[in-house]
Amino acid sequence: MDGTDPRAPRRGSAGTGVLEQERSSVFGSLGDGPWQAVVHNDPVNLMSYVVHVFRTYFGFSRARAGALMQQVHEQGRAIVSRGSREQIETDVQAMHSFGLQATLEPSGQD
Amino acid sequence: MAHAFRPRPGGTLTCRLEGEERAIIAQVAQEVRELIRHDLQLQERPAPEAVQQAAQSDDPLQRLEAELAGAPSREPVDSAVQRLFPAASEDPQVAGEFRRFGQQALAEEKLEDLLRMIRMLDRPGSGREEVALGQEDVPVWLRGLNDMRLVLADRLSITRDGEFETLRMLQQIGEQVEDVPPVEDGDVAGGEIVAAVYELLTWLQESLLSALEHR
Repeated sequence: MDGTDPRAPRRGSAGTGVLEQERSSVFGSLGDGPWQAVVHNDPVNLMSYVVHVFRTYFGFSRARAGALMQQVHEQGRAIVSRGSREQIETDVQAMHSFGLQATLEPSGQD
Repeated sequence: MAHAFRPRPGGTLTCRLEGEERAIIAQVAQEVRELIRHDLQLQERPAPEAVQQAAQSDDPLQRLEAELAGAPSREPVDSAVQRLFPAASEDPQVAGEFRRFGQQALAEEKLEDLLRMIRMLDRPGSGREEVALGQEDVPVWLRGLNDMRLVLADRLSITRDGEFETLRMLQQIGEQVEDVPPVEDGDVAGGEIVAAVYELLTWLQESLLSALEHR
């Protein structure tokens, strides 16, 4: 742990840079890297809460966050970010702090 | 009368809760804190002096031991605590490392969220039933309410989508059938209370999210 609050909005999510423009489209990049964070469906977390977490933590647009939430709900899981192992561990830790079921895995799996 | 969260001028969000509702939410928050601490075997007090001294020792082995003493990564045993601290990977080695380095911090965050909620709910004699959340309180309440709901859902054995609705429907049908003898089994009666509290927390969380949208 580097001492920063893991629940604070993720890197690149607060500004108005390129990353945010990418993240605000429905099909934009989730980032690139050898590891990915996956959020799994569960019957307790409210859909509106999951959308809220995706928007506030990753900085996704409402449409993007809603689409990912739907994917979790319908397919049981959705990849929400890709990056270095350290970055993805931070994301998974943040998801756990919000009570979402999340895992990290090597990139390349659907 | 209790009312849901509403946006107020100045950016705060307020809800009104009956004294009994405040008490029961604070009680559940406290019980979830105790459950986490007990299951992960976390100490209430800061590390004992000996451990703190060892942490500053010149001996790297002593420092390592102090680190391990201060950061236990015990696997959760209770099913609800397992839900709050899920395995981060199917690969046991990756999951184990993740727990070792992050579980203690995660537990402290969750305990702190719940404690802040308890302090806001627990103001004896204030005479005010309104709970006002500032900007920095909102994420604390969203996370805390969610963790409490996860624990209660585990106790209600909600493991699939729609299961709570089914449970509620069965209870309501049960209430409507007059010839059914009163429930004597403590577990079932307790289950009804747990379900009611779960509903209250769900309603509160939904209303907080909705108020955020309309702020």
